[in-house]
Amino acid sequence: MSSLPHPETASPRTSLRTRVLEDRPVNKDGFVQEWPEVGMVAMDSDFDPRPSIRIENGVVVEMDGRERADFDFLDQFIADHAIDVEAAETAMRQAPATVARMLVDPNIPRAEVLRTARGLTPAALLETVKLMNIVEIMMGMQKMRARRTPANQAHCTSARDNPLQVAMEAAEASLRGFAELETTLGVVRYAPLVAIALQVGGQVGRGGRLTQCALEEATELDLGMRGITAYAETISVYGTESVFVDGDDTPWSKAFLAAAYASRGIKMRFTSGTGSEVQMGNAEGRSMLYLEIRCILVTKGAGVQGLQNGSISCIGVPGAVPSGIRAVTAENMIASMLDLECASGNDQSFSHSPMRRTSRLMPQIMAGTDFVCSGYSSTPNYDNMFAGSNVDAEDYDDWNAIQRDYQIDGGLQHVKESEILAARRRAGHALQAVFAHLNLPPITAREIETAVYAHGSNDLIPRDVLEDLKGAQSVMDRGVTGLDLVKALHEGGFADVAENLLTVLRQRVSGDLLQTSAILDGNLEPLSAVNDANDYAGPGTGYRPSGERWEQMKKLRHVTSAENPEVEVE
Amino acid sequence: MGITLRELGRAERGDRADEVVLALSPGFGGFFSKTIVDIPHDEVVRQILAGVEEQGVQARVIQLHATADLAAVAHTGARLSGSGIGIGVLSRGTSMIHQKDLPRLSSLELFPQSPLMTPEVYRAIGRNAAQYAKGDSPQPVPTLNDQMARPRWQAKAALLHLKECELLVKGAPPTEVEPVIEESV
Repeated sequence: MSSLPHPETASPRTSLRTRVLEDRPVNKDGFVQEWPEVGMVAMDSDFDPRPSIRIENGVVVEMDGRERADFDFLDQFIADHAIDVEAAETAMRQAPATVARMLVDPNIPRAEVLRTARGLTPAALLETVKLMNIVEIMMGMQKMRARRTPANQAHCTSARDNPLQVAMEAAEASLRGFAELETTLGVVRYAPLVAIALQVGGQVGRGGRLTQCALEEATELDLGMRGITAYAETISVYGTESVFVDGDDTPWSKAFLAAAYASRGIKMRFTSGTGSEVQMGNAEGRSMLYLEIRCILVTKGAGVQGLQNGSISCIGVPGAVPSGIRAVTAENMIASMLDLECASGNDQSFSHSPMRRTSRLMPQIMAGTDFVCSGYSSTPNYDNMFAGSNVDAEDYDDWNAIQRDYQIDGGLQHVKESEILAARRRAGHALQAVFAHLNLPPITAREIETAVYAHGSNDLIPRDVLEDLKGAQSVMDRGVTGLDLVKALHEGGFADVAENLLTVLRQRVSGDLLQTSAILDGNLEPLSAVNDANDYAGPGTGYRPSGERWEQMKKLRHVTSAENPEVEVE
Repeated sequence: MGITLRELGRAERGDRADEVVLALSPGFGGFFSKTIVDIPHDEVVRQILAGVEEQGVQARVIQLHATADLAAVAHTGARLSGSGIGIGVLSRGTSMIHQKDLPRLSSLELFPQSPLMTPEVYRAIGRNAAQYAKGDSPQPVPTLNDQMARPRWQAKAALLHLKECELLVKGAPPTEVEPVIEESV
């Protein structure tokens, strides 16, 4: 036996407890130390500017310690288009602590906070939220979100870009309560067929669900203009000039794109989030939240009704630094505080830990936001083409139980399997009829029956991808529009689905979906901050699940009957 | 065990039609010694060079000093390569095969997720680059995907990128280097 020492292998003894803790999922997550000099810091940095404003002849000539001559293009856009100079001097005289108190004090109405907020500079907004802990930020969110009734958004995607799966997921998601449905692709050329499938599935059953297809900007706009999609949200803005320029964009080019959507009455929102600038190595030494506040103000200045924020695809960055998730909740609240619709993230794989995954979404589901998730994966995570979501189809029953536990409305409800199967089948047949009408590759009865009972794309009969891609190209070449889908549905014997889709398309003429936080209610009427304004004013006021909705939320997959404890409630 | 990149002077354009240039980022084999998932830099270089050489193609190694942008690193390698084919590798492991006539932001093959890189993938990258240099059209190296890479690695990748950016020397030209791999005894 060798008696040589083995310094590499002799390690200090660890306890069994340490070994158990080492194996916990949370230790697969990444955590990093702060580095404020380069912006690797959530919201508390000595390198962020201090609030200041000077206005001369109705023009902001100094903001947050910077003279107008030294403004970068974000400063200029914000100073000229986002900050209300009428309100600014009074607003900026208020101490950050005063504004923070206004946010949590139920006696101060939402409208009064809005009057102050529209005059605040990025640094003043940051100083305000830095004083607020997570419960206070939730208080602010509860009062400041634009729409009274919270809602939710689903991701309906397929790892194989299978249109039939997407149509069925859309129908099921609609039934489960999602107000908006979003898809994207693995193979981008599949987009027209998958977007059609989402649009058709979203009109089955209750219908009136708004759909979008995340793509590069020109194609996304094209599908929107044709009425194959109903809204858009992946129009990204950034908090530093260098990152903006890297993407060949400016705040003005994004505002121009926003105007193109508005010209057709198409709902749209921008996207931004903490961490994107430091991730790209160009944070210019500012904290993640300071830069995100600049994005929120650019959105406001562009005249867009809403914003998807909450870090989004960069969630791993704020998620890895101290107080990072607090910063993410603050960015949602600031969007609401500036009277924007807020689709509040919870949409990307965030943690290996079930506890951290839940904790991530509690502030938004408890306080209620315009869309708690932007979005929630309606498929198993392996089918999620947005690189995974924080919550997915396997979490439905957990989500419903959490809603019931706290009597909080995350926009979903339990639905009986028989109803879900019926909706999935009908969506399959509706899409089959549309494909037949448009001379697209046929969908067989066997494909439909398989997909009705499937959990994910692994369970499906594969499509002939090359034929589908040819079909997708012909949809673009022939100029197929939303009205063609209406006709196809009507002639295929799906008059109710056709009617629902036509109702969605009609909204573009009235422009009602351009109102802040617009969705369609059960009667397919617009529900927005105009006719459903948040009126929270303390205990007993504002939105509370009650009546029929609360009864619906009480239902779960298994609830023991009080009348006869030997059976479960139907 | 480790790697030293011995500087041979300013990198020049090669004139051999059968060569591939491996372009490394500023911190490679210096400030950094391993990729984001702890693959030693000597192993990365060894695998890529072996992949190139097994195709009967020559390899040269250069190091960039003024940029840590993958597309710029790989494209510089391609432009200095006699065959027009270059491989770019960042310290954290992200890699790209480039061709000199393509736009900088385009590429032949991109391997964007540094945590999913393995020694086998580096060898395959060397092999494919050599085949492009010979005028062949190889099957692209399969790219891997992991839904949970974000929570585990996103922030560390950002940190590594920021560190590498700190090492940049404005205007410094790329240098030709000889990789000296010290074997452990």
